[in-house]
Amino acid sequence: MLTGLGLVGFRNLEDRELEIPPEGVALVGRNAQGKSNFLEAVYYLEVFRSPRGTRDAHLISFHRDHFRLVGGLAPGGEVSAVTAAVQRGGSPTKKVTVDGREPERLGDAVGHLGAVLFTPGDVRLVSDGPGERRRFLDILLSVNHPGYLEALQRYRQVISHRNAALRSSAGPAAIQAWDALLSRPGGLVSAARAGWVRDVGEAFAEVYRTVADGEAATMEYRPATPGADDITIEGAADPDAWEARLRQALADSLEGDRERGATRPGPHRDDLRLRVLPEGSEEDEGETRDLREYGSGGQQRTAALALRMVEASTRARRLGRPPLLLLDDVFAELDEGRSRRILRLLDETATGQVLLTAPREADIRLRPGELARWTIEAGRIREAS
Amino acid sequence: MSVIEEAIREFSRLPGVGSRTATRLVHSLLRGTTADARRLARSIDELVERIRPCERCGTFAEEELCRICRDPARRGETVCVVESAFQVHSIDRTGEFRGRFHVLGGHLSPLDGIGPEELRIRELLDRVSRGDEGIREVILATNPSVEGEATAVYLEGVLRPLGVKVTRLARGLPVGSDLEFVDGLTLAEALSGRREM
Repeated sequence: MLTGLGLVGFRNLEDRELEIPPEGVALVGRNAQGKSNFLEAVYYLEVFRSPRGTRDAHLISFHRDHFRLVGGLAPGGEVSAVTAAVQRGGSPTKKVTVDGREPERLGDAVGHLGAVLFTPGDVRLVSDGPGERRRFLDILLSVNHPGYLEALQRYRQVISHRNAALRSSAGPAAIQAWDALLSRPGGLVSAARAGWVRDVGEAFAEVYRTVADGEAATMEYRPATPGADDITIEGAADPDAWEARLRQALADSLEGDRERGATRPGPHRDDLRLRVLPEGSEEDEGETRDLREYGSGGQQRTAALALRMVEASTRARRLGRPPLLLLDDVFAELDEGRSRRILRLLDETATGQVLLTAPREADIRLRPGELARWTIEAGRIREAS
Repeated sequence: MSVIEEAIREFSRLPGVGSRTATRLVHSLLRGTTADARRLARSIDELVERIRPCERCGTFAEEELCRICRDPARRGETVCVVESAFQVHSIDRTGEFRGRFHVLGGHLSPLDGIGPEELRIRELLDRVSRGDEGIREVILATNPSVEGEATAVYLEGVLRPLGVKVTRLARGLPVGSDLEFVDGLTLAEALSGRREM
């Protein structure tokens, strides 16, 4: 549980030391006053990067040379404080501490808040290209799956070498040397993704069906590793199986990869396919529609929300307690029916601490009597209710 | 620029030496005897004049061949391949290895434009195939980094056809450490590389 938040030089937010009530806060403010920045600051302390993909240096206020965030956590937990600071410069320097110590690996620093962030921008998870969905999987698994972040970092490091070797005049042997190092971390990444999608697929469909009033949607892992079709549902989370397929796929694609100067097989080109089943039709390849291409705005927002909901339940399972929910104007642009059904779901999920934002008092529909009312104007937060 | 300023600037180019340390070093040299400063100057001079790569293994040498390659007690049938000349010293200090060395001068790193041709790999293959040293085993002691591993994999591929035994340094737990402080990756490697007792 988040008990305190220290803000220095972050975006448009005024420098403050805030005490966060145990049940949470509802932050009210008009658009462009800093509501999202507030939740972004909190979530930064979970993954140490901007959830919007903003570069660290761009998070520093104008006219300031650094930002610093301090998160105080409730006593009794594993960790009592996390901090992050970024100093402007030719190459900005970032310092992260957990209980006053700089962790050796980023993997040891992430995930101590136990937070899940819902934002209106989440719709891009559905409407944009596969890269958005890989990013979603990567952040989610980095905090929920031990060893995932290390494997991913290793995979990325090796693949940039392999691609550089492909673009150089190196012979086959000098490229294959990297293949041996790529398949293990690649196998770990694929297995973690496949296992997660398998385990939460039904929950995703359930959330979607509830919010969309009976309409059916599916989530499916689409690996970019040829030959992986024969991996069974039971074996989906087995890294050895994925490693063997990737090793073979890399060997098979060597010639083509050299022509293109890029590695084609592997989890760096995976996708997470989200589809709807039009009402009244049977579940069949021909009848389903890809949400990215054919989904309406409402359908895409619903699918994005369902992704966050299953993320929240994954987080809860991993933490053994309800996660800290950060809800950034979640009902924006949703019709009344969907909003009401989402509210019902959130009421069941949001049993822990909640930080939510809304443009008006009337928009605070989740636990309206319980959450402390704060307001924000031009980056200045007022705790008075 | 004054002579003193120039000396400070030169010292501060050394790794780990900032301008404050450089200033202290220069002041100390000026305070000490002239003989001390001369000795340092002479030593640096000799370092750059007389040290060169050994013609066989590539490590630091003062003559055509380094101290190790000239040592008749060293057994030529085993060659230990390392990335840099400093690592020769590390391995030699253990006293466990009585063979000769081969310095690659780096590791494969396509991102930095380092391919097999940029390393002393051709020289290694020549040493093995020439046969005058009677090399029967090549120990790959490149770093356990991503680049060091890729270099080892590559070397294994080009050495194997020459009919020589190729081995890799073992990976595992640091001696004298406590299991609870060993990082996950090292522990995982040590687990998969366990041996029967």
